[in-house]
Amino acid sequence: LIASADGLVVPLSVHSGIRWDAVIAPRTASIESARPPATCTVVSRSAGLIQVHVQLFGALSALSAERSIRLNLPTHSTIADALMAVEQRLGGAFRAQVLDETGAKQRHCRLFVGGYAVEDLQSQLDGATDPTEIEIILLIAPEGG
Amino acid sequence: MNVFNPHRLKTPASDDAWLPSSCALCYGTCSILAHRVEGVVVKIEGNPDSAVGKGRLCGKGVSGIMTHYDPNRLHYPMRRTNPKKGLNEDPGWKRISWEEALDEIAEVLRKVRDDDPRKLVVQRTTTVTASRVPLHAFASAFGTPNFSVSGGGQHCGNGAHLISGIMHASWSVVPDFDYCNYAIFFGASKGHSAGHASCSNMGKAADARARGMKMVVVDPLFNFAAAKATEWVPLRVGTDAALALAMCNVMVNELGIYDGPYLQAKTNAPYLIGPDKLYVRDPESKKPLVWDNRSGRARSFDDVPAADAALDGEFQIGDMPCRPAFHCLREHLRKFNPEWADAISGIGAATVRRLAKEFATEARIGSTIAVEGVLLPYRPVAAIAFRGSQGHRNSVYNFYAVDLLNHLVGAADVVGGCLGFNPTSHGHPETGKVRYLPRADSDGLMVVGSWMGYHYPYPPVEPRLPRNLGLQDLFVIGMTSPFLDSTDREEMWEKFEIPYRPEVMINFGANLVMSIANKDAVAASLSKYKFIVSFDLFLTETSNFVDIILPDCSYLQSLDSRSNFPFIFSLPAGMGEWCWPVRQPVLPPDDGQRPFVDVLLELADRVGFRADLNAAYNAWLDLQPPYRLTGDNRYSHEDICDRELKNNFGAERDLDWFKQHGLIKWKKTPEEVYWRPFSDVRVPVYWEFLKPIGDKIAAIAEPRGVKIPMEYYEPLPDFLPCRSHCCAKAGFDFYGFYYRDVVHTNSFTMENPWLDEVARIDPFSYAIAMNRAEACKRGFTDGQPVWVESETGRKVKGRLKLTEGIHPEGLGFAAMCGHWTDGQPIAKGKGVFYNDLLELDWEHASPVNINLDLCVKVRVTPAEGLS
Repeated sequence: LIASADGLVVPLSVHSGIRWDAVIAPRTASIESARPPATCTVVSRSAGLIQVHVQLFGALSALSAERSIRLNLPTHSTIADALMAVEQRLGGAFRAQVLDETGAKQRHCRLFVGGYAVEDLQSQLDGATDPTEIEIILLIAPEGG
Repeated sequence: MNVFNPHRLKTPASDDAWLPSSCALCYGTCSILAHRVEGVVVKIEGNPDSAVGKGRLCGKGVSGIMTHYDPNRLHYPMRRTNPKKGLNEDPGWKRISWEEALDEIAEVLRKVRDDDPRKLVVQRTTTVTASRVPLHAFASAFGTPNFSVSGGGQHCGNGAHLISGIMHASWSVVPDFDYCNYAIFFGASKGHSAGHASCSNMGKAADARARGMKMVVVDPLFNFAAAKATEWVPLRVGTDAALALAMCNVMVNELGIYDGPYLQAKTNAPYLIGPDKLYVRDPESKKPLVWDNRSGRARSFDDVPAADAALDGEFQIGDMPCRPAFHCLREHLRKFNPEWADAISGIGAATVRRLAKEFATEARIGSTIAVEGVLLPYRPVAAIAFRGSQGHRNSVYNFYAVDLLNHLVGAADVVGGCLGFNPTSHGHPETGKVRYLPRADSDGLMVVGSWMGYHYPYPPVEPRLPRNLGLQDLFVIGMTSPFLDSTDREEMWEKFEIPYRPEVMINFGANLVMSIANKDAVAASLSKYKFIVSFDLFLTETSNFVDIILPDCSYLQSLDSRSNFPFIFSLPAGMGEWCWPVRQPVLPPDDGQRPFVDVLLELADRVGFRADLNAAYNAWLDLQPPYRLTGDNRYSHEDICDRELKNNFGAERDLDWFKQHGLIKWKKTPEEVYWRPFSDVRVPVYWEFLKPIGDKIAAIAEPRGVKIPMEYYEPLPDFLPCRSHCCAKAGFDFYGFYYRDVVHTNSFTMENPWLDEVARIDPFSYAIAMNRAEACKRGFTDGQPVWVESETGRKVKGRLKLTEGIHPEGLGFAAMCGHWTDGQPIAKGKGVFYNDLLELDWEHASPVNINLDLCVKVRVTPAEGLS
């Protein structure tokens, strides 16, 4: 027996062979259910185009004479599609700063759709607002201390 | 749920109020109550309603009043009239108006932003954590990636935070004081000195010791933690890894004590390793394979129940021989026997074996405990490390080896074990914010849920030909870099084809000349800037290189909406409460002083990048509609703070609410604090990722003439000597090192008269500690003035304090003293400026995380009187 900080005396099950992956299974579900809803949802549209405005801030703003790049993309387009369209306008310098060699978003690149952060570039643009606003900024990567 | 007791707030008919706010005498940022009477702060205490300090406040915190009211505070902007910059050049300060100052600064910034924004370096002190977001936001919006925290990181973070991030998803680690029964501190003082959650930890550590927790302090110096410890183990400077690896060897290979189920389920110990030292992967899914004992074949790690994954054995997949990572580790550890460790560290083999046995048996592997009705693994042991293990060229392996002790016995983020500072938060119960959880990458390894920046410790980003002046985009494991100021910086920039050079610096509160390494190296770097603007409370040694100096407000005059966020930084670990305090102005600015954040906002307006700054704030603060900053609207700092608080805690809890209440808090749950069993993530006991990173760095660096020592990029830890361990010069027989003084923060607090008085009473604060027996052998006496000289000829002078409480080969320097500026008359001429002994170049930086080697082999000779 050992006294814990909250005053309980609890039995030690030294030889219980307790499974690390089994200790807490019953309560895991309730934790998962607390996840906030996804910020970029899929909305079916049968045809047509969605208007997308991509705004570039900070170091990226130097790549374009205009603050906002206006795109017309097919419905069901993803954020990756939007970035590809921007790259076609601005060239490889945009891609080099926003994406890594594997095509994944750089970690210090923050991307917001309709004001909500999005990490998964395969998220579809829902076109719920017209136009859909995408904001992109590069933040400082290192921090010390 | 809430919080501050308002009956202490008296109405200011006659002004007599206790106002809740946050300290800023160190980065611990404890919650305070400031007693203001008739417009004067007369006392500062800890805020008992806050989880950050729980009413405790250290000597620095209660003395903050003297820093605020120091007559040497700056009160108006000044411009230098002497164009020559140097350590001994008088700037010829001339008072100017704010209008003149801002006009000139804005003009400089406008030009450099139009030319190449990367030529701006933004630099801050780590002492004021509230400066992080405003300065990061400013730099991001301006468009420069060049940001630094002076000596922070290079001295105390690039190693510590890396390992804490990779293995515990947090900035730092601490024993679970509420339940821990046996803690080993390797060069750390958590709970006994300054630092993250310092005052909270002091209470927790004291309670733990009273409860009977055994505490072993491994340190060359009988430091503040050792003074309270059960046992002090004086090891040779910089040899922490040798001791820790030998203990691991004893545990695994002599005692056979380790937590197999933990290693199987929560680490990469079962992952199969091929002859190339890399994972053996499924050819289609590319997932790492483990050996499934049940089916007798290799399968993807996530297809095999953990209990069936082999930890030992030699297997064959096709033509390829392979072994589980744990098998590799076990074999690797064999060479670190206690006798070998004795020769390296000076800790006898019997002591090594005893410590290993005590740690392993006290871990009670397999035991469980109920906390608030939740059954959890119980491992009441912890091994922690910090500044002492960090300040060496081999810091990565020092930390890796020390933390292996925890993971071998499953004492990681479970009850009684080694805890990260709050790696998991399920958010405020009403709003769900701020919520974060560690998650797994495609290899099943843990990625932090919260971090201080976007340079995550794992997985490292791909090395590339660098574009940052600090070269962190090549040395991707590193954070703060020496290459902004190093003597070989130009050579490194040339070799790596950096297409621009720094021209302008914005400095917030850092005294770079004293806080990085020898003053000549840093002075040479600073003198090359075309323009430096600095926000300061006082003139410092660095002010000699500044063009325009701006008088900042003290913490008692400042506002900050997130004093202790991220929670991984300085909110206490363990059970208790989540707590979000604010800092609020207790006093108005004096005539001529302005809060630095207001100045940054105005500069953005004058230069014309307010829209970028608004976007940067949105990103740094994670503001969501309707609280996001829009367009180029000119929000005040108060507006931004108000929006952040409402964004996180609801519209009714605005800035006014927080000013009245001081903080909000809510209860932590066992599932948050002891998150490890609940989260399907693993951590690496075999750092497979290091070797490929090293290969890629070498592929870029070596053709350009920078040799990468690949022994630092091996997947398993080793003891690698520092430069000081290799010094064979006759007469150089002491290892110089500096240590934290409990009453001082870096060089900043030396000007505080109350702390100076304490330091003058303390026989160690302004002295050089030498082992008494060694001193007698050499004829040195207590109080004797001496010269201390490095093997490169750098010299500092100080008085000896003889003591039995230091390793015979150690020479200990307290804090960072030795100011020489007239701007800080209290600090001037007190103590020893240890950093002046340090070299600042690639040869003295870790080839992995680029932190500086802070131990120096020195010669001590008598000196005639001290001035």
